[in-house]
Formats: sequence, structure tokens, C-alpha cells
Amino acid sequence: MNILVVLAVAAVFALLRFRRANLLVWAGAWWVGLYVIFRFGFSAPIPSSVVSLYMGIVSIAILAYVSSSEERREEVSRPLVRFMTETRYAALLGATVVAIPALAAANVYVQMNVPLEPPLFPRTVHPASPTEITVHDKKIDLDAGENPYLELAISHPEEFRKHVENGRRVYYQNCVFCHGDNMTANGMFVHGLDPIPTNFADQGAISILRDTYLFWRISKGGPGLPEEAAPWDTAMPAWEKFLKEEEIWDAILFLYDFTGQKPRAKEEVHTQ
Amino acid sequence: MTSRLIGSSALGCLAVVIALLFAAPTGPTGMLLRAQGPDIGTEAQRESGKTLYLKYCVQCHGEKGDGNGYATPHLLPRPRDFTTGKFKVRTTPSGALPTHQDLVNIIRRGMPYTSMPAWPNLSDQEVSDLAYFTKTFSPDFSIPENIPQPIPLPSAPAATNESIELGKKLYEENGCLKCHGTLGRGDGPSAPTLVDDLGHPIRAADLAQGWTFRGGSSREDVFKTMSTGLNGTPMPSFLEALQPEQRWAISDFIVSLSGSNGPGYTNLVVAKHVLDPIDLAKGAANFGSAPVARFPIIGQITEPGRAFHPPTTAVTVQAIYDAESIALLVRWHNMSAEKAGKNDPTLPVPPEEEEESATSGASKGGVFGDQEVAQPPAAADPFAEAAAPIAPPSEFSDAVSIQIPMQAPTGARKPYFIFGDAQNAVDLWFFDLARPDPLQFTGRGSADIAPNDTGDLSGVASYDQGEWSVIFKRPLRATSGAPFVPGEFLPLAFSVWDGFSRERGNRRGLTAWYSIYVEPEVAPSAAGPMVRTALLILVIELAVIGLVRRSRRSAAEVLRAKADGEGRQQAATRA
Repeated sequence: MNILVVLAVAAVFALLRFRRANLLVWAGAWWVGLYVIFRFGFSAPIPSSVVSLYMGIVSIAILAYVSSSEERREEVSRPLVRFMTETRYAALLGATVVAIPALAAANVYVQMNVPLEPPLFPRTVHPASPTEITVHDKKIDLDAGENPYLELAISHPEEFRKHVENGRRVYYQNCVFCHGDNMTANGMFVHGLDPIPTNFADQGAISILRDTYLFWRISKGGPGLPEEAAPWDTAMPAWEKFLKEEEIWDAILFLYDFTGQKPRAKEEVHTQ
Repeated sequence: MTSRLIGSSALGCLAVVIALLFAAPTGPTGMLLRAQGPDIGTEAQRESGKTLYLKYCVQCHGEKGDGNGYATPHLLPRPRDFTTGKFKVRTTPSGALPTHQDLVNIIRRGMPYTSMPAWPNLSDQEVSDLAYFTKTFSPDFSIPENIPQPIPLPSAPAATNESIELGKKLYEENGCLKCHGTLGRGDGPSAPTLVDDLGHPIRAADLAQGWTFRGGSSREDVFKTMSTGLNGTPMPSFLEALQPEQRWAISDFIVSLSGSNGPGYTNLVVAKHVLDPIDLAKGAANFGSAPVARFPIIGQITEPGRAFHPPTTAVTVQAIYDAESIALLVRWHNMSAEKAGKNDPTLPVPPEEEEESATSGASKGGVFGDQEVAQPPAAADPFAEAAAPIAPPSEFSDAVSIQIPMQAPTGARKPYFIFGDAQNAVDLWFFDLARPDPLQFTGRGSADIAPNDTGDLSGVASYDQGEWSVIFKRPLRATSGAPFVPGEFLPLAFSVWDGFSRERGNRRGLTAWYSIYVEPEVAPSAAGPMVRTALLILVIELAVIGLVRRSRRSAAEVLRAKADGEGRQQAATRA
């Protein structure tokens, strides 16, 4: 929240209250004040399309309020009618009549001269995985399965560390170029990629995914994505072309180990 | 980043000045700093640094600090070998160790366009601890006589057109162009033969792309690099050979070569309409003022036969079209033109070659081809007039390709960005620069590329001062490949093969999908819509005002009529 902006708007409202402003002025002040707050009052900017939506709601609310009783209608329309009929306002009225179409025309000009942007296609970031995939002629159950080496963490810790270390080797020989040395997707080729690689250090990435989901994404890569995820754009290789099954599982162990995260737990199967 | 470095250089200068003030009577050996002993940190600091090193650095720099980690076989330039005590980017004289702050700076900001990343998320203390641990790999850091002293970095005179001109002259006189080339594109005659102290191939910096400088791209950075040299590489120090003003002048010239502070990568090339028919014989002159787009080139590391360190970092592209044809001009910097040999998008690359950087030492030829091109490090002195060994002719030629979808995409669906896929083919315009003309292929994936010679495609290529300029020309609507339609976007992607680095087939640099927009000959005018909008609003305004006034008038008339009626009534009663 940008507190200065909010205070400034509140100060203007207080002044209007003090001056006992007309209802029409109030209506205008609310409209402008809320716009200023939506547009500048938040430290994280609100997208302009959302602001337009909010302002539409604000406009309807203000209209509903000013037309809710005969008195309010009268109070709002009286100054407008006077402005449009009384001869002493004639010059100002003329200027307004010219200014509004001119501003609208200027807006049309600006809209028609926005910088060219290539067409943008929205894509699904974590599309649903299939239930089963085949990697190196072996069927992997993505729903019921899990990392076969994960249990070693408790049963054979030393063996487990060897798998993590092997995953580390796999990562730095293959993945580091895009996903980066500290897993924050800042590898040396990132400036040439769109979509950008997954940031594994992000708490909302691999921790909300099952390790079998990672296995699917790694083994099948970009070309294995469904259409809604734009498989033609992503540079993620289908790692089954380069890595053994065990190496992929080890790399997954390493990702969670390095970032101190855990895969999302397998959903409990409800038994009767 | 840069300001930090300037700050640190300024600090360095200050330290030297203070040290000199205090040390004046006793001479340099009595310097204040030297009296403190080697700055190798405390046991705790080194231990903390070791923990961090084992988490973040060991993968490339190795457990022994010798630059032999897991990733090393895929990296070029190779990770620093800390055991040698040789560090490229420093504030100290040539051959000297870096200061502690130098090490901290390089960890903090990384080395652009290499596999050494910046480490912005580590705390100042962590970076310092890492620097201390790094020093444990070389005994040189513990020797009191080796305590590094920053060289003086005097304040800079203003950069002027004269200083740039003077810098250009000095640049030529002092042999910079032997490696860096006349226009600084890293294409000097000696460039293909350069090796570092360990015998690994090394490239002269492309001075026309300042953003790729390992030691930073600001004027101060360039001055510092020229003054200190890059230890372990053929880049010497000019501290003794040139006066500070001369070094500043060369720095000004070098900074002027880049033309901008950053690469300014974009995602769109706009094809401009031209009235004169496109004439390939006129070459790049056809393209006049067409806007220049620059796309980043990255290694093809998705399909087997990967290229982990393509020497090409970017292509610049311009496009024009006339009544019948479209032409694209693709340019990129290239150390040496390989106009002999062969190239082809289908040439196989044995898997062992992916690991080649590990074996590419002087002993095996490696990147330079099969022949021996090694030379002793001593020959790396650019002042030495000894005949530079001539690089052997490359087995592979340079090449470039543009790909567009075979059919204009409907909706989001595009072919796979690497040479298409089985369902969605790409039309591939391939130019082997050892041949006079480009060839057309149909790509249905890296493993399914077939010649498709329709005769539609023509082109011309030229190499000058370290830059390839290649023009492709094709009818707007051709037998094969999506049409170019004014007012519409079309995806396109590029590949570049450097024959010198044995790039062919899948081993190459490429871009992701970008777009070309064919700008209509006559841009739609804003005047019509503007006038229409203004008139519409004006009519509404006048209607509202008219209605309000009329209703006001009729209300007033009613009142008057009422008043009149009442008056008449009164009169009647009176009567």
C-alpha cells in the first residue's frame, strides 16, 4: 500500500466535506479518488485491464447512488442543467463541447500507435500429466509410483547420499546451462529462452509437484507436453535421449536436496 | 555492478595513495599494507567458505580447486584453476595475485557470457569467506612478498571525439588489431591461434560487443583491463607501455565500438516495404534504414550432438520486401570466415564431441580441428613479431539458416522450434557459406531433414572485418513455406554454424522462435478513426445539450403559460 497516495486522497475528501461540496462534485471526487488509489495506491501494480473493470463497477455504484432518490437526482442534475442553459457559461460550454471530442480523438491516436508486439499465446505452466509413461521400454506409473530411491534416505542413508551426489553430477553436466548454478533459472542461456526455465529455488515450484511429475517433465521434456502448454516453444530436452532412468531419479533427489524442499506427498487412496 | 567496481577501483586508488604517503620515507618495501601480512582470513572464515564452496562452486571448479568439476567437460572458457594463482580480472599488475576485493567482485558479479554466474544472493560475508577459501588452493597467497598492490587507476579525462580518434590510432599502432581486428570484432589475424597458459584455445574479446567483456564494459573497466592485462591469457598489460592518457584514449575508442551499453535484444523484426525491386547485387545497401533487430544465439543443447559454448552470441536481422519478394539480411560476428569445407544441417556429430572441451587442450587440437596448432604461451605476446601459426583449413564451413513454418500457423500451434516436428514441418533456408547459393530443406525434426529445392530461394553472402552478411531472398508467396503477408506476423528462427569450432548438424548456435512482421506498404492512417470518434461524440454532446435546453424551455413556457392563465383569470375576476 502506497500510504502517501491514500493520505492525499483522504485529505481531498476531508476538504470537500469541509467545503460542503455539491453531490455532483462528490460523485466526481469519488470516481477520481478511487481511480488514483487503484492506479497508484498499491505498491504491486494492478493490471490496467483489472483497473478498468474496477472503475466500471465504481461508475455503476456512483450512478446508482446519485439516482437513488428524487433529491439526489435533482442535486446532481441542477448544476449540469445550469451549465448547459445559462448564458454566462456559454463560453465554457463551447470549450467543453470541443475539448471532449478532441481528447477522444487523441486517445484513438495513442491507441493506434502502440509499439508492435508479436502475438502472445497464453500457455499452461504445469499441465496435467498422463497417468503412465514409458521410458526406456519401462512403464512408469505417475499416479501410484514414486522415486524408487527416496526410501533409501531412511533405510540406507549412505546409499542415498551416493544417489544425491550422482544427481548433482547429472545436474551440473546437463541442467545448469539453463536452470543455473543455484537453481534460480539464471543459467547462461536464459536470455535466449522463452518460456524461461523453471526456478527450482522458488517455494511454489517443485514443492507443489510430485516427484513422478518431475520424472515425466524431465524424461519427456518440451516435446512431451500437451498442446495447451506450447510444446513447440520450450527448449527443455526429452532427457530420456541422454539419461538413464536412474540418473533422472537421482537428479530429482538432488533438486529437492539442494533446495531443501520435499516433493508433494502422494494422495492417500481411500479404502473402504 | 559497474558502479561497485568503479567504487572499488576508487578505493583501490585511495589505498595506494595513502600507502604511498605513509611509505614515502622508507620506500615501497616499507608499505603500510605489506606490514599487515597476507590477507588469507581466519580459520573460521576459510571453513565457512569451504562449506559454501562445496555447495555452490565445486561442481565446476573441482574439489581440488583445479577447475576440474563435473561440468568442466562442457565448459569453454573453462572454470578457473585456482591452484595456479592466475586470475584474469584484477586491479593488480600483470602476473600479480588479485586483491581480496578483486575476488569478491568477480564472485559477486560473475563473468558475462561465460558459465560463471553472478552471485547476488550470497551475503557480503559469505562472498568474502568464499574468496578466502579460494585462496587456500594456491600457496602463492600465503607468501608475504606476494601481497597484491592495486595499480594506480588515475581519474579519467572526459571522452571526446578527439580522444576516440587518438585511441583508434593507438589501437592500430600498438598491435591491438592483431588479435581484436581492425573494427574490434575479435577477428585479428592472430585470433584463431590464441591459446591460454594451459594450452586451451581462447578467443580475443569481441570489442564491438562490450556487454560480453569478462571484466566489465564501462570505460573504467576497459581502462583497468588494459592496464592490468588478463593473467593466464595472451592479453598483456599496457601499464608500462602506454601513458594513462593513451590508455584512456584507447578505452574511449573501444567503448565507442559497441555503440550501446547493452545488446538490446528484441523479439520482432519488421519488414519494410521498398519501392525499388530488391537487387541482390546491391547487397546490404538494399536494406537502407530498415530497423535492425538483434536476437540472442544460444547453444543447441536439446538434441543429441549438443553445442554447449557456441562462439556466436547474437544475430542482427533486417528485412525488406518489394512487390514480389522478401529479403532478410542476417549478420553476425565471426572470428574467421570458413569458406572451404562442407556443412549441412544433417551432418552427424559423434556423442564424444559433446565432451570435447575436456580434451581440447593443445595436445589434441580440439576446437581447432585435427591438426596441431599449439604454440608456447610465450608466443602469445602480441608485441612479438614472430610469425603467428596459421590456423589449418577447417573441415567444416560456416553456415546460417532461417526457418519459417511450412504453413502459416493457425492459432498458437507452431512447429517445434528445432527444425520442426512430424506433424508441423518447417521450411529451412540453409546457406553453406562455402557455396555460392542457399539451399532449401524441409524439416520435420532434427532427425528428419530433407532437401526441398524449389528454386525459389536465392541469396548472397559476404564476409568483411569479422562479420558475415548474408542475404536470403524469396518470393512473398512461394512453392514451399508459409507466405509473407503484409500486416501479418510470422514466426521465424535462426541457426548459425561456426566451422572453425567444428559446428555442423546439431552442433550449432540457434535462436528460439521470434517473429517477423510484414509492415503494410501504406500504414493505416489514424485520421479516419480519429475524425469519426470526434464527430460521434460531438453529435451526442449537442443532442444532450439541445434536449436539456428544450426541456428547460418548455418547462419555462409551462410556467409562463400558467402565470399567463392565472393573470387572465385574475383580470376576469376583476372584470
